[in-house]
Amino acid sequence: MASTIGSLGAAEAVLKPFAKAINRPQPERLEVSIHPDDLLAAVRALVDESWGYLSAIVGLDRPGQPVTQGESQAEGAIDVLYLFCSGAAVVTLRITLPYSQAAIPTISGITPTAMLYEWELREMLGVEVIGLRVTGHLILADDWPVGVYPLRKSFTGFNQPVAGAEGA
Amino acid sequence: MAADTNKFVIPIGPQHPALKEPANFEFWVDGEIVTGASVRLGYVHRGIEKGAEARTWTQNLYLMERICGICSHVHATAYTLGVEKLAGVKVPQRANAIRQLMAELERIHSHMLWLGVAAHEGGFDTLFMYSWRDRETVMDLLEKISGNKVHYSANLLGGVKFDITSELAAEIHKGLDFLEERNHFYMKVVTTDETFIGRTQDIGTMTTEKAEFLGAIGPTARASGVARDIRVDAPYLIYDQFPVKVMTHTSGDLHGRFIVRINETFESIRIIREILDHMPQGELTTRVPRRIPAGEVVSRVEAPRGELLYFIASNGSEKPERVKVRTPSLCNWSTVLSLAIGLKLADMPMLLSGIDPCFSCNDRSISLKRGQQGPQVWSWEKLRQYGIEYYR
Repeated sequence: MASTIGSLGAAEAVLKPFAKAINRPQPERLEVSIHPDDLLAAVRALVDESWGYLSAIVGLDRPGQPVTQGESQAEGAIDVLYLFCSGAAVVTLRITLPYSQAAIPTISGITPTAMLYEWELREMLGVEVIGLRVTGHLILADDWPVGVYPLRKSFTGFNQPVAGAEGA
Repeated sequence: MAADTNKFVIPIGPQHPALKEPANFEFWVDGEIVTGASVRLGYVHRGIEKGAEARTWTQNLYLMERICGICSHVHATAYTLGVEKLAGVKVPQRANAIRQLMAELERIHSHMLWLGVAAHEGGFDTLFMYSWRDRETVMDLLEKISGNKVHYSANLLGGVKFDITSELAAEIHKGLDFLEERNHFYMKVVTTDETFIGRTQDIGTMTTEKAEFLGAIGPTARASGVARDIRVDAPYLIYDQFPVKVMTHTSGDLHGRFIVRINETFESIRIIREILDHMPQGELTTRVPRRIPAGEVVSRVEAPRGELLYFIASNGSEKPERVKVRTPSLCNWSTVLSLAIGLKLADMPMLLSGIDPCFSCNDRSISLKRGQQGPQVWSWEKLRQYGIEYYR
């Protein structure tokens, strides 16, 4: 456990200049909220320090609260979490993107393993990954409708078979 | 993955004789030599992460187990460990020991399955048939413990369903003795058979630096000297009390991947014997609340193919807010695409199977049942009723 704490401390020191907020949700985890503009620099800083490896990119849809009378509905957002692991230590870079600005730069130029995760994020949650040099679908069917992102909370399935889909 | 349109492209898949699971590869070739490669996944994508958001914490245990028919237990284990951490529940040590025992039995069956597949891809069908015949021994043991050969369903939220009696322990010991002897034979074949060595040595070689750069994990990375294993790096269950040794190899080629996986099978046999001889006493289950407190958790385990990561978010209700599954096969694809370049097209099946790809892992329904009446969309309830009637 001592090495895990030391490892998290080292990551915290590296990421502090970019941090909007820092917390420790679990003893082995460090979570650093950053601005999208700082993403590349923060990832570069971790990689330059040879701190661990990118283990996953997670997208979380957080729709705006339902409309209450007299108030306008808050805009929903997508949280993008970059999980880096080193031994037992897990560092999360958290970026919050409002629906209207759901775009982030690709980190695949710094850590190539990000490419498949970013591709999945774009396809399943509709986050535009600027600079990602792949087109087409990774997981969804070729005839999947444009602009439908299955992991958004607003997607609750198709009531009717999609016109033109295979078998329809 | 950009295509060079001036090159001759060989499309392989999604339905093809080299692999039994669907994926589409495009290899750009110059004569026999591969100059570029790309992959298209998703042919068996089932929308499990989305499905999880509509099911209760308990229902999801069974859903997660169905991500993979080979390593079903490790998926359920990663999920239960994450949910139990969110709930703040401490599971009895005997339950953790049985989970670990099942996980190592599963690793043996997975590695022996892989040995057969990889041998088959190289044209060594006798080895394929031997290893699959012998693998039945570990499948039978799993069936004796749980009643099932594939989806053993040993886990519960808060513990396990099945105990290991002294009679079962004796049978497991007997089975392990047989499996150990057979794996010694496989190791001899793999390291001495001239044609086998010819098909595997110096093929698809990946240096330690390259393995780390490409994000390789599991036995694929360990065969390139990357000593990374979640069982050791971040021990879960009771791997701290019954530790495993990390099996590595320095050759980085296909041959090394065979040696690492066979050595890992020996290590699994050793650890199961230790658990059986020092099984903690106590209860099998503890209570877990139906509503899981709000929060987010990362759960990491070492699946047979490498690090399996679950990210689970709860909103405090009976259903999860989000379950993200990052499976090991996904990490290793980039190694294949990179290593393919410069090799002969004939080496591709073995190179592909060398990472032990699992498409169920990659592709996690939106399903259309085809029939005489044309396509139909079935509701969950209708599908459930159909299943009940079918098996009545």
